[in-house]
Amino acid sequence: MADVTTNSPRLILTDTNFRLWLPLLWIGVIAAAALLAPLIAPHDPLAQDLMLERLPPFFMDGSEPGYWLGTDSLGRDVLSRIIYGARIALFVSLIAATTTGIFGSALGLIAGFYGGWADRVISRLVDIWMAFPPVLFAVLLVAVMGTGLGSVIAAIALIDWTRFARVIRAETMVQARMDYVDSARIGGARRAATLVSEILPNVMPSIIALLMLEMGIAVIVEAILSFVNLSISSDDPTWGSMIAEGRGAIHFAWWVLLFPLIALFMTVLSFSTLGEGLKQRFDPVLK
Amino acid sequence: MNQMTQPTPPALFSIRDLRLSFADRAHKPLFGPAPRVEVLKGLSLEIPEGRITGIVGESGSGKSTFGRILVRLLAPESGQVLFDGKDIGALGEAALRPLRRDLQMIFQDPMSSLNPRHKVWRIIAQPMKRYGRGGDRTDAITALEKVGLSAHFADRYPHELSGGQRQRVGIARAIALEPRFILADEIVSGLDVSSQAQVLTLLADLARDMGLTLAFISHDLSVIRHLCDTVVVLHHGVIVDQGPVEDVFEHPQSEITKSLLSAIPHPEMDETWWDDMPEPA
Amino acid sequence: MTSTTAHTHTLDIINLNIALPRGQRLLRNVSLQLEPGEVRALVGESGAGKSMIGKAVLGILPHKIKMTEGEILLEGAHLNAMTPATRRRTVAKMSALIPQDPLTALNPVRKIGPQITDPLIRIHGWSHQRALARARELLDRVHIRAPDRVMHSYPHELSGGMRQRILIAAAFAPSPRLIVADEPTTALDVTVQKQILRLIRELQRETGTAVLFVTHDMGVVAKISQKVTVLFAGRVIEDAATHTVFENPAHPYTQALIAATPTPNVSARPFQPVPSALIAELHRDTVAADALFAQRGRR
Ligand SMILES: Nc1ncnc2c1ncn2[C@@H]1O[C@H](COP(=O)(O)OP(=O)(O)OP(=O)(O)O)[C@@H](O)[C@H]1O
Ligand SMILES: Nc1ncnc2c1ncn2[C@@H]1O[C@H](COP(=O)(O)OP(=O)(O)OP(=O)(O)O)[C@@H](O)[C@H]1O
Ligand SMILES: [Mg+2]
Ligand SMILES: [Mg+2]
Repeated sequence: MADVTTNSPRLILTDTNFRLWLPLLWIGVIAAAALLAPLIAPHDPLAQDLMLERLPPFFMDGSEPGYWLGTDSLGRDVLSRIIYGARIALFVSLIAATTTGIFGSALGLIAGFYGGWADRVISRLVDIWMAFPPVLFAVLLVAVMGTGLGSVIAAIALIDWTRFARVIRAETMVQARMDYVDSARIGGARRAATLVSEILPNVMPSIIALLMLEMGIAVIVEAILSFVNLSISSDDPTWGSMIAEGRGAIHFAWWVLLFPLIALFMTVLSFSTLGEGLKQRFDPVLK
Repeated sequence: MNQMTQPTPPALFSIRDLRLSFADRAHKPLFGPAPRVEVLKGLSLEIPEGRITGIVGESGSGKSTFGRILVRLLAPESGQVLFDGKDIGALGEAALRPLRRDLQMIFQDPMSSLNPRHKVWRIIAQPMKRYGRGGDRTDAITALEKVGLSAHFADRYPHELSGGQRQRVGIARAIALEPRFILADEIVSGLDVSSQAQVLTLLADLARDMGLTLAFISHDLSVIRHLCDTVVVLHHGVIVDQGPVEDVFEHPQSEITKSLLSAIPHPEMDETWWDDMPEPA
Repeated sequence: MTSTTAHTHTLDIINLNIALPRGQRLLRNVSLQLEPGEVRALVGESGAGKSMIGKAVLGILPHKIKMTEGEILLEGAHLNAMTPATRRRTVAKMSALIPQDPLTALNPVRKIGPQITDPLIRIHGWSHQRALARARELLDRVHIRAPDRVMHSYPHELSGGMRQRILIAAAFAPSPRLIVADEPTTALDVTVQKQILRLIRELQRETGTAVLFVTHDMGVVAKISQKVTVLFAGRVIEDAATHTVFENPAHPYTQALIAATPTPNVSARPFQPVPSALIAELHRDTVAADALFAQRGRR
């Protein structure tokens, strides 16, 4: 139901603005870090210095000024590596989510609107596809196609288009039953025009929410693939490879693991929250 | 039964033995197809050109379904639907397209018939553009003013209107195309008497002056009495009464029509209205 | 502050004002009461704000539209003083809405059956069987011919009048204290309408449910209601007992409304709009009232 309008003050946490702005703030910070990495990173993310290995973060004893979040076992600056890692994370998630979204939504719209054999073919394909365990599937794909960012993106798109296809198909079927679709038909719209100019705007909020979710998922998948060393060369700083390396040192240098984990967690959370917030913002009734 | 009192104009629609059924999901056996519920059971009638034909009947009797066949949103299972002498019952979407502008409909449910993401002016203007009859903002505003809505409604979204205002947007969209035929499905029950008067006068004028043919589905028998030339009474998908409106109202042939007429609530305090309760069979 | 007078009204709206964000007023100092077991008709031109009153009571005003002033009491409890969660619960338990557009009020992808029984189970804590039995009983009482087929159907498979009766059945099922019925019979033929009006009368007597009945049909007003409120541009211009309104309407607008109501009587002149001079005068009054309101607000 619509929200209850009363004169009592609202909890800030339930406010949609809050759901929108807080994740946007975090994503903005990450995006700025990614874009401006060479300018703002205090150190070279690849520079090793065995004299400075496993320095603790600034608030602990034995920290070194300038190494805010400490260093890893090769003496590389954790903060700089997180900043450079944001580049890869955001790049992959942006490209992968858009590719996945366009491909999956198009199939979902077609299946939901035209029905008939188009729907049967697409739905069957989705069912078959979803029978594979996704991570295994991704690992397999990258193993076949070779490591590298391109393979990671392709793997994400190939696994996750089904999410878009399924959700958008269902939404399209609901919309296709509304009288406004019939009235477009009476108003002389061709089938394809009805789909694009009448139905698409109504499923757009869901597509946007899914896109955000997908960006979060892409960040995770990329991290997982880096974690098992199937993303890009393990030298390049990615959050996944940092987590993998940090895991070994958890007992004596927990910060190497914790900080990239926080960055990952916050980013994924922000994307999915932002998706919900945007969906509400784009809803004409709630706007 | 219905003797022709005045010369009847040629029929715009001739309908012969029209039938339609839907699947009945509640009684579907575990295997095999669901049984069918017959909704229209062999309707035959003519809709004269340039006249207003009322369609009345109990809720669920098949009025909207019949109307959707006239504008060919649904295809009949069997029977003929001659529009202007041409059988449109079995035409495909491509063959229908040149006819579509002349077959307009105003929907029963105003909210769901307006795209929630389009502004009012665009909802009216887009079909005009598609059919090459103008289609800019000012055309839409002209149409809005005809149904008693001022220009400042042009930039609203459907959910920002009241029920009656939405209904009038649907009416404006249909008349702006100047079609030959409009199916009006229960369009005045959501309007106050004053807006009702305005819209009905407009439709009656269009029929008289521009030769518009109107099929007018309504539960308001008083409106039917004043507006329509002929009337058809449906009951469970069968025509039970039909003819010039005076004849049907003065000398109803079926019990259904009689019970409908007796159930009209007149605007006066009258406890006896409650007493008799004819149950339609 | 619970003024426990001799009896409490089921609904008491005091000086309700509702406005758009830019300050444009939709309701202007609206007050009305409903006694238990009373039907109050709410009439007025399209766009006058009738639906807004119902939405304000139920706390479902559209996002941008705010209550700027006024009190709403449901069975003596101040709704405005409650937290949103308490308010939602109180309103859901004690009242029900029959919304103006039946199609958008039903979930298109769920079957009808659970859409009726769910609230009974969730909000009123009924058992599944009891809810199902009650749903069947009510569908029967609103004269749905094949309740089982209908409960297994999706909304788009039903006729307009069937959808409307389903919402009527769903509203009456828990026997709430108050029902806001927003043009509940627009899609019903006169015989079914009569049956529904009879049902409302019966339930009103059985359970003391009060009904705020929005309609455009003065015939229906005459049959079902005990009180009438006439609204124009968000203002109450007449509030009286139904027989007074029909025998001796005080306001010229009310007189015009009754005069303009079509009857099947052929001698009557059809389709008379309310005289435009009267409408213009009423709009002038509204503007004057707004100016006064703005002045008072500034002080
Ligand atoms: N979201 C909104 N934004 C702006 N104006 C709105 C919005 N919703 C409603 N309105 C306006 O508020 C006024 C009152 O609307 P309301 O729905 O209460 O009318 P109503 O009396 O129920 O009319 P009807 O009989 O046509 O249903 C209308 O003029 C309408 O245009
Ligand atoms: N798509 C559908 N699938 C299954 N049954 C349907 C479908 N559309 C309509 N029906 C059934 O056909 C019957 C006639 O419906 P229709 O909408 O034509 O009635 P109506 O005369 O317009 O009634 P109302 O006055 O209540 O709008 C109803 O019993 C309805 O349940
Ligand atoms: Mg209908
Ligand atoms: Mg309303």
